[in-house]
Amino acid sequence: MNSPRPVVRLGDVHKEYGAAGALDGVSLLIGAGEAVAVMGPSGCGKSTLLNLIAGLDRPTRGTVEVGGQDLGAMNETGLALFRRRHIGMIFQFFNLIEDLPALDNAALAAQLTGTPARQARDRAMELFEELGIAGRADVYPAALSGGERQRVAVARALMNRPALLLADEPTGALDSRSGEQVMDLLIDLNQIGQTLLIVTHDPELAGRCAGRLVEMRDGRVLSAQSLESTP
Amino acid sequence: MTAPAQRPLTGAGAVWRAARAAVRRRRVQTVVLGVVVFCSTVAVVVALGLLEGVSAPFDRAFEAQRGAHVVASYDAEKVTAARLAARVPGVEAAAGPFAQATVTIPDTFEHLPPGPLTLVGRDGPGGPVDRVELWSGRWAARPGEIVLDRPPGSHFAGLLGLRFAVREGPAFTVVGLASSVSGSAASWVTPGQAAALKPSAYQMLYRLSEVRRGTAGLPGDGLLAARSYLDVKREAGRSVSLYLPFLACFGVLGLIVAVLIVVNVVSGAVVAGLRHIGMLKALGFTPNQVVAVYLTMVLIPALAGGAAGTLAGGLALRPLLDGVGGGAFSAGAGPWVYAATLAGMPAVVVLAALPPALRAHRLNAVLAIGAGGASRRGRGLRVQRLLSGARLPRSVSMGLGLPFARPGRSALTMAAVVLGSATVTLAAGLTGTMTAYGQAAQRVGHIHTVVHAGQARQGETPPRHGDAEIEALLRALPGTLYVTADAWIDLNLTGQPQPIMGRFLRGDSATLGETLVAGRWLNGPGEAVATSAFLDKRGLALGDRISLSLGSGRAGATIVGVTMDGSADLIHAGWQTLTTLAPAQRATQYEVRLAPGTDVESYNAAVSKADPGLRPRTKSRTDETAVAVISFASLLTLLLGTVAALGVLNTVVLDTRERRRDLGMLKSIGMTPRQVTVMMVTSMAALGAAGGLLGLPIGIAAHRVVVPMMAGAAGVLLPESMLAVWRVPMLAVLAPAGVVIAVLGAYVPARSASRLTIAAVLHNE
Repeated sequence: MNSPRPVVRLGDVHKEYGAAGALDGVSLLIGAGEAVAVMGPSGCGKSTLLNLIAGLDRPTRGTVEVGGQDLGAMNETGLALFRRRHIGMIFQFFNLIEDLPALDNAALAAQLTGTPARQARDRAMELFEELGIAGRADVYPAALSGGERQRVAVARALMNRPALLLADEPTGALDSRSGEQVMDLLIDLNQIGQTLLIVTHDPELAGRCAGRLVEMRDGRVLSAQSLESTP
Repeated sequence: MTAPAQRPLTGAGAVWRAARAAVRRRRVQTVVLGVVVFCSTVAVVVALGLLEGVSAPFDRAFEAQRGAHVVASYDAEKVTAARLAARVPGVEAAAGPFAQATVTIPDTFEHLPPGPLTLVGRDGPGGPVDRVELWSGRWAARPGEIVLDRPPGSHFAGLLGLRFAVREGPAFTVVGLASSVSGSAASWVTPGQAAALKPSAYQMLYRLSEVRRGTAGLPGDGLLAARSYLDVKREAGRSVSLYLPFLACFGVLGLIVAVLIVVNVVSGAVVAGLRHIGMLKALGFTPNQVVAVYLTMVLIPALAGGAAGTLAGGLALRPLLDGVGGGAFSAGAGPWVYAATLAGMPAVVVLAALPPALRAHRLNAVLAIGAGGASRRGRGLRVQRLLSGARLPRSVSMGLGLPFARPGRSALTMAAVVLGSATVTLAAGLTGTMTAYGQAAQRVGHIHTVVHAGQARQGETPPRHGDAEIEALLRALPGTLYVTADAWIDLNLTGQPQPIMGRFLRGDSATLGETLVAGRWLNGPGEAVATSAFLDKRGLALGDRISLSLGSGRAGATIVGVTMDGSADLIHAGWQTLTTLAPAQRATQYEVRLAPGTDVESYNAAVSKADPGLRPRTKSRTDETAVAVISFASLLTLLLGTVAALGVLNTVVLDTRERRRDLGMLKSIGMTPRQVTVMMVTSMAALGAAGGLLGLPIGIAAHRVVVPMMAGAAGVLLPESMLAVWRVPMLAVLAPAGVVIAVLGAYVPARSASRLTIAAVLHNE
């Protein structure tokens, strides 16, 4: 099998918070178009790994490269610009701005890059239509269901056509039906070529959405196995 | 069976522990509150100290000296000493009758101008009324000795030992310097000496059982003149009354700003501490104990800020008091000022904290725990939506929308900025007016140097030239443009018991640059120009005719102009009038305007070289009163501006705390630290802009009210040009004052928000 061009390259990454180690020599490659699930018990370092790849945090040692760029060499502004251009993030608790209607929440990501409001809203509406929430564009987050909120969050994450979509427990706060819908959505996105990294406790989500499973424990990668044959 | 009363789970100790923990958790707000209270307390101590300074020193001295409520002069030919010595109903104590005579000083002495001098014969400084403070030397013990009335201070100490002769014959040696708070006499001699001078009047000093204006109930036969202590008090307070209106205005502004910010801080603490309140209640704290926790939480910084502010205010007050009013305030502020601020400022803080604390009292524990620290939703949505489509950078449009999410907090913050901006505007207007006043008072640009003739009696070299020759010499020196010779003479206004000061002018007096508020300048003989306070004091008006006398000389003059000056006893007249009154009088000084480009110091050197007996002094360009007012205004503006900026800082800190998750999310989708800073600063700059625009007219209105009050209190009539300081360039500079205050207050917490650690915020909610 031809190894895909790596989007993420982690080399011997360590992360320590004071005396406590969160990551202990993690190396990982994620190819373009891959869907990778990271699993493990609480405190194993999953979220730390996600934060490092998203450029939200910096490693104590080792290198983190995303899209060929060394995140360790960037300052705060550089990391923000990097996230804007290359990363889309989905959170367990959606993190929508309650004062803005759904469409403006999504459009925000493009507007921060300087895209004019109308153009950003057009792009957001395009995504809303694809995600099946076009009718909820003017609704404020408080009036949306959990599934709808997560789809708004997905739209926001996709606004700038990121090279890598990071999802942190994307179904963790959803009922099973909404969770199913979000899983389907992630599968669809991956099928059209979107690189995915999902951090989850949910084996079903990992099994359905990911082509590769990375298991972590105590800050180390325990195993990395392909799930392609999983029915 | 009734259920047993539920005992509170905790007592006062628990309230204290919970409040202390809350203070630790809200370090920034605690510091902000402490600094706000500190700044406000400093302003209040200074304002109250000066308020007291106007009346307290006089009242204290008046009581210490058992001052006379009425100083009365009786015609010695119409009433006998025995009649005056008789007991009068309604009079608590009386002193006198003392023989009173008037002599004329013929020559010029430093601090002892020529003209009439009232002498009163007293055998000592004590007595039941008017216990004169003998602050230097001793009392007159024999004929030829005299004690002069001068305010305490080294300025006049040189007069001790001075010997001078009077036109009526005898010569006097100054053996003592004393001060009478009642202003009962210009000098004192022994009773025998006074009797030898053929006194024309008797002086009686009365302390009344019931203080009143006028002489009702006192002997009326032969009453020449009477002066109430209320008039004396008004005169004594004139120099400091000037400061009262604007200090009161600044003091009130400071208090309002402090209250607004305290309400904002405590409301914010309640809103941000909803979960904390819920937890306290769940733990068993009664609603009253929760209120106590919140009041204690604000009382800790309020007490610290109040104590430090009182101390700093006291330290700041003393040099300020010493520097104003020629030492009239040297007594300093009374203990009540410090006691009032020490207790009052924390009390104001607690009162301001009470409404939001009572909100905590009413809060349902379950709802509070459920709500946690999350912000309330759905405020200002329409505005935010409109802004999201605006053609502005998104960080700017989001910042503009933030204040609408918390309208109450924004209104309080804006109110603080409005008052801060109004203060800056008032101070700028005051500075403009006082600068113009100072330049006019010092006649900047009109007079460059003032030349005095040396006094041999004071160990100075006398001039080689005579009066007219000195004037001619100065005119002949290179660089001289105009010369005006002045003689400052004490003289009498017919029908008035108190002497007045006459400034008689010769030469180019029209070029002196005196500011006229009515009428015109001197144009010929028989004319006088008076100050507005002079006319007010005597019920005179422009066009009235006055009669002047000096010794046996008499002269009449018509008041043709009114000057801005606040001296209540000063008139200006031409030299011809002086020649009529006292033909041999010399000039006291020569005021010189130099041609453009002439170096004043070189000119002064040339004057001294031409006649070593001439003592030229460069005319000061700064007016002490103007400098003092501007200094006060600047200090108070700095304090209030800081307080307003701290209010903004507090709001940004609260907003950041409440919007931590939104900020984390925005950063996660690519908002740069700079954009975060811009967003948070913009949120306050918008309030600052609005507050600045509202504060501008308020400041201008305050200036229109305060400045005429100040001028009125000081007896100065300001020309309209000094009030019309509001010109477009100045307004253009002041308009952004609110924005500046807001940006200064917002920048640091905005930068802090931009450095927020996103990972922790987003994943742990």
